[in-house]
Amino acid sequence: MFSLFYGLWKYMFSKTEFHVLILGIDKAGKTTLLEKLKSVYSNLEGLPPDRIVPTVGLNIGRIEVENSKLVFWDLGGQPGLRTIWEKYFEEAHALIYVIDAACPSRFEDAKSALEKVLRHDDLQGAPLLILANKQDLPDSVSADELDQYLDLKKLDGRVYMFEAVSAYDGMGIKESVEWLMAVMERSKRTEMIRARAGVTTGRGA
Amino acid sequence: MGIFFSKMFSSVFGNKEARILVLGLDNAGKTTILYRLQMGEVVSTIPTIGFNVETVQYNNIKFQVWDLGGQTSIRPYWRCYFPNTQAIIYVVDSSDTDRLMIAKDEFHAILEEEELRGAVVLIFANKQDLPGALDDAAVTEALELHKIKNRQWTIFKTSAIKGEGLFEGLDWLSNTLKSGGG
Repeated sequence: MFSLFYGLWKYMFSKTEFHVLILGIDKAGKTTLLEKLKSVYSNLEGLPPDRIVPTVGLNIGRIEVENSKLVFWDLGGQPGLRTIWEKYFEEAHALIYVIDAACPSRFEDAKSALEKVLRHDDLQGAPLLILANKQDLPDSVSADELDQYLDLKKLDGRVYMFEAVSAYDGMGIKESVEWLMAVMERSKRTEMIRARAGVTTGRGA
Repeated sequence: MGIFFSKMFSSVFGNKEARILVLGLDNAGKTTILYRLQMGEVVSTIPTIGFNVETVQYNNIKFQVWDLGGQTSIRPYWRCYFPNTQAIIYVVDSSDTDRLMIAKDEFHAILEEEELRGAVVLIFANKQDLPGALDDAAVTEALELHKIKNRQWTIFKTSAIKGEGLFEGLDWLSNTLKSGGG
């Protein structure tokens, strides 16, 4: 009986937690983005961009927006490290894919890595936010131009958006988070993950 | 309330001191790493029974580094040192492929410990100077590091004998602990 009320109480008052995966090839600016998110949305300072080194492993950022908690998983993007990306797919509510918009020579690499990610079953239905990063650099391409360059097909009705951002100066960060929150709250994938979690915790109680 | 205290805690520790545990199987190279960090020299070591503790000053952080003996019979005593730990350095002998399974099991048992919940994890894929040593990607796979989802982790290829990779690891630790870690 108690556990029933406790469950109800938890259901009504606890904040929903969303897991957002930040992927992209090396040097795209994933960790800089993570640190910017931390400094914009929490009172942690976040590392200055010049102290950030290539990630080998996992960085985590936790922020609170409105009534939800967002947990960001930032994984290393060097070719040898991309094999672990898929291990984090299953529990991710949404995907942020970061691309260095000022480096057209690596668009092809970014595109093929993204296509590989999107083919994976464990990410089915996950909203996708593609960031045209490094807008602070003069020769960066716009979000629309990047969309054309990538020419992504077979998104199969997946909710997605291109956004021009600068993880360095903060441009587009708030818009990105607002979009993510809005789509995650009503995505089928969120329902699916919640249902799966409900089943397991229900058994535990 | 808890968050408030943990923030105060991390702001205090972020700038001054951090308590680090160096763990791993016997013969992984923990003691050699400790003294390489502290003195910059390779010392000849004997198997540690009990612990060695030294303070390493680096990047404005005083790392209090505890090196605990790794033999099977004394691993149960590791937990006596768990409280108030900000980071774990887990050392693996990358050339000892036969015992990677055991290293993996011990590692995941440590991660289950309630008192180490907030600790960030740095893995040293040590003994890279030896032939047949696995690289960082292979050690990542063998230790199943991808199962870690609730704390920050990283892995470095190191050679304690040559002094490679160790301070890169400390750089990561100081950055991670300063930016609020975990």
